[in-house]
Amino acid sequence: MDLNIRQPLSLDDLKDMARINRLDVARMFMAAGNGHFGSCYSCTEIITVLYFALMRIDRANPDWMDRDRFVMAKGHAAPTLYSALIRRGFIPEKWMDEYETAVGARLMTHPSRRYQSGVDTSQGSLGHGLSIGVGMALAAKLDKRDYNVYVLMGDGETNEGSVWEAAAAASKFRLQNLVGIIDLNRLSVDGELENVMPMEPMVDKWRAFGWDVVRVDGHSLPALLKVLAPQRNVGASAPRMIVADTIKGKGVSFMENVRSWHADLISSKQYSDLVSELGGVGV
Amino acid sequence: MNKSIPQDIASTISERRKNYTQKAIRGQFGETMVALATSHPNFLVLTSDLMYATGIDSFGALHPERLINLGIAEQNMTGVAAGLALCGKLPIVCGYAAFTTLRAVEQAKLDAAYNNVKVIFTAQSAGLSYGVGGPTHQTYEDIAIMRAIPNMIVLVPSDAIEMDSCLHAALEIETSSPIYIRLGRGPEYNFNSSYVPFQIGKSTQLRDGKDISILANGSMVFEAILASDFLAGCGIGARVLNLHTVKPIDRDAVREAAIGVEAMLVIEEHSVIGGLGGAVLECLAEGPAIRVRRIGIEDCFPPIGPTRELRMSLGLSAENLVVNAFDLLGQTIEKHPAKIN
Repeated sequence: MDLNIRQPLSLDDLKDMARINRLDVARMFMAAGNGHFGSCYSCTEIITVLYFALMRIDRANPDWMDRDRFVMAKGHAAPTLYSALIRRGFIPEKWMDEYETAVGARLMTHPSRRYQSGVDTSQGSLGHGLSIGVGMALAAKLDKRDYNVYVLMGDGETNEGSVWEAAAAASKFRLQNLVGIIDLNRLSVDGELENVMPMEPMVDKWRAFGWDVVRVDGHSLPALLKVLAPQRNVGASAPRMIVADTIKGKGVSFMENVRSWHADLISSKQYSDLVSELGGVGV
Repeated sequence: MNKSIPQDIASTISERRKNYTQKAIRGQFGETMVALATSHPNFLVLTSDLMYATGIDSFGALHPERLINLGIAEQNMTGVAAGLALCGKLPIVCGYAAFTTLRAVEQAKLDAAYNNVKVIFTAQSAGLSYGVGGPTHQTYEDIAIMRAIPNMIVLVPSDAIEMDSCLHAALEIETSSPIYIRLGRGPEYNFNSSYVPFQIGKSTQLRDGKDISILANGSMVFEAILASDFLAGCGIGARVLNLHTVKPIDRDAVREAAIGVEAMLVIEEHSVIGGLGGAVLECLAEGPAIRVRRIGIEDCFPPIGPTRELRMSLGLSAENLVVNAFDLLGQTIEKHPAKIN
């Protein structure tokens, strides 16, 4: 199929795009020898739905003022975004094999708008993205433009106090064009988030801050298609938060829910197991 | 170096200060912002519950749609500013130096500087200008911090009139760099009487002299001028350079200021670590060779007190510049008693 896309894709096509995204991510991490597998694979469906079904973007005009914006607040899952940008034609596929391999490599652990077309803001340090998203959504309102702004955060990231500063501001300014997404995979670097620093009840917290909150299965394409659909010129007055229940390492049996796969080395054997489990045709 | 001041020098300079008018930085800032709002219709103003405290309440009353109050949350304010700038807006952040730099420094670095967006940070109450606030509000490390961030422009205007020019220059420069503007708070002496041009990156020479060079910025430029005028009466030529741009520093001017004089003094209302003195020494590391003495806040938490008295007690004064100049030039004050009055 022409991966540099025609929209919209069927559900089967989207499912295949998610599979290809996971293979691309593994290909990049194999080039580097390691990577944030767990963190990437928990948000694969979210990124796939945004980039292949919902977001208004144009590879020929990456700085288009009316494009929808995406903020990869959990910046360490950047390769998931890189795959989407590659398959949408923003950046070349061959960059994947340079991932983290040399000084000046154009794809690195965290996304950078200095080097990558289609990246709306550089990210990497947690707790920054929602504030930037608030600024972007505010700019849209001030300019009377109808683009939506999506901010993807990790559940561990919500430990950062600045997230809640931004939560209050989004509510104050009634940013109905802002969509936050929590990739709630329950595992942060040091283990179960409930032990590291519990954030439940997540839904109640965001509601208390004045957000419209929906909790969904973060791997269900139909559910994500519904809740992430852009809202343009609608009368809503609150920002939206999608609390997405996900599985860290989703899609690769030996990685699912395994803490150490937050970021780990990968052997050739594991890589070939991964590729075969994902029905890869080799890369 | 904070030296003891002979009484005759102290009384003479103290008298001369009275010849100058004063204007509160905060008051001028408010007036400038109102004027700029009309001439520059595109910028937005962001504040963290410091609308009254930074003097932008008149701006807010006239242009409520252009004033965004983010509450007491500087990290978020800085991120929001960057987000606005990423979508084509021009945000001016109005806050206190202490919180703008130390509380939200990572956002300044990553969200603004790394993202290549022009956000103007106006940082009031810097240095000892909120001296009674104590170490929570005194700010003497902001220049060191901000100038270490790649892609950050750092400006330190010296009086109300130069601040006005500085804000115009910052708005009008075409750049993808954020701009940090360090400001005081209360009354400062006006040594400029009317409009002064402000070119980012270019210093201005305010006095000529062949014996010693005095490099200064911010509130200390006025002190440098007083010192130079006093020294002139003693037959000592003290060149004065206003280095209002700490980054990118005017390297040529700094090196030139080291030529043809015996010594150099650098004075600033900032820690001696990493501020203007540090920047000047970095420029001079490869020559020309010259003896340099820095006057600033030594590596300590300064006492708490009213700004003027606090500056004086720490040697941030024309009086201390004069005594240090004599010392560096190997002259004794007693040789010049007739000139002092």
